[in-house]
Amino acid sequence: MRLILLALLALVFPAVAQEDMPAKVWLEKMSQALKEKEFKASIIQLQADHIRPLVYLHGKVNNQEVAFLEYLNGPPKNAVRVGNRVTFIEHDQPAYSILSNHIQGVWPAAFSSKMSDLEVGYQFVLGGRSRIAGRPGQMIRLLPNDEYRYGFQIWLDMDTYLPLRYDMLTQDKQLLEQLMVIELIELKEPPSILQEAYKQEWPAVIDQAERQDGQNWQFSWLPAGFSVVVRDHHRLIGSHEAVEYIALTDGLANISVYVARAGSTPLPEELITRNGLSLVSEKVGNAEVVAVGKVPTETLARIAKSLMLE
Amino acid sequence: MDKLGQEWVSAAVDGETDLQTMAELAADTHSHNKWRNYHVIGDAMRGELPQTMALDLSASIAAAIELEPAIVSPQVSAPEVTVAPQQVAVNAGQSRVMPLFKQFGQYAIAATVAMFAIVGVQNFNQTADDAASPSPVLITRPLVGSASPVSLQTGPVQQNQSYTNDQMNEQRRRINTYIQDHMLQQRLNTGAVVEDNSEVIPVPVNQ
Repeated sequence: MRLILLALLALVFPAVAQEDMPAKVWLEKMSQALKEKEFKASIIQLQADHIRPLVYLHGKVNNQEVAFLEYLNGPPKNAVRVGNRVTFIEHDQPAYSILSNHIQGVWPAAFSSKMSDLEVGYQFVLGGRSRIAGRPGQMIRLLPNDEYRYGFQIWLDMDTYLPLRYDMLTQDKQLLEQLMVIELIELKEPPSILQEAYKQEWPAVIDQAERQDGQNWQFSWLPAGFSVVVRDHHRLIGSHEAVEYIALTDGLANISVYVARAGSTPLPEELITRNGLSLVSEKVGNAEVVAVGKVPTETLARIAKSLMLE
Repeated sequence: MDKLGQEWVSAAVDGETDLQTMAELAADTHSHNKWRNYHVIGDAMRGELPQTMALDLSASIAAAIELEPAIVSPQVSAPEVTVAPQQVAVNAGQSRVMPLFKQFGQYAIAATVAMFAIVGVQNFNQTADDAASPSPVLITRPLVGSASPVSLQTGPVQQNQSYTNDQMNEQRRRINTYIQDHMLQQRLNTGAVVEDNSEVIPVPVNQ
């Protein structure tokens, strides 16, 4: 009986108010819910042929956001966020912390930030309703305004406004990546693991002062909404090749642009991995411009061509 | 640190930790009891308990090892290290000698970010023939319904006549380094975004 009443409540009441709520308001409520709510979500992530199960917990301890992400398969891999600090605990290296207000690897950072930032590149469109993880969900489409980026579909829990599923799609509606909640539990108080995490002493934030400013590279063209987030020069992980690095983002899509001395083996001009990550390389004299990101290759090619030194 | 510490001890028994963690563990005498207990439990589960149980194994092994000459190889297997604290001290000294592998600053942290990025990179070279298709054969097939088991194999690479095997490998290695670095930057850049948001004026791009 109580269940039926609850179900009625959940369906009838919000439905009245939610009926004419614009897509942007849904997304803003999501952004707020991701920051405010205390919940545990069991999630599966699909990428090409890979399925990765993970658990994400979020809560507030002493007014600070605390979150915990655990990958359930394979070697232990966890991330803990307390306030503005994210610590990665992985099996093969000592734990390290970085400054961040978002654990990378679950929902895109843009989901919990200002929605108006996304409006330049995407259009928000209200979609249909369907049931996900045993909950009624409202679908919101993020349609790209141009052909330079991929589109997204998000399903939101109609009750808590937390995201239940997100798909990343190519222009011809092929699925590139999907994150789907299979169980969502709303909590009354932060779970004990988060309270412990809050008290725990985590390694100090690694010093990123080593990031030296890069050259003053400019782009003669960028897709609308994209801007430079970081520029520096560093060495690549495996090969220690020195590169000039520029990071671009439109909020959802992230692009890395590298300038390096051309190697003896040329890189392929274009390449796409099965999860939608593209790589484009272009030779300019004895230098090589490489662009990587989850956007169509044409976008990367155009960005690489528009790069110039001021 | 307690919960985390316990996990470490447990992982160490299974030989899944690295040298630095081992050294930390070894310094923490409190963990030594746990170490022994985990091993005894493990032995019991495998039915390998000795007839008579020497109660403090680690102490007697430590004593035994003290009599042996120090092992020079840096590749010490996990059990040897933790059993004997003295041994660890030696090894800690050695690991200072071989930070060759550790000197990449922030990038030393990257190894695992990258692991899964490399997987399934399909590498195609454009030739005159397939110039007709602008983006070379994409394997972006829909995921739903094709829930195949997790596999960590690189997909078959289409051979291009003009490249030798070595060149192919070298090319793939270079692609991987770029993709790995991109993945790592996604982690590090979120920090940059935090700083951005805290400033009222947009970050000055360059002085």
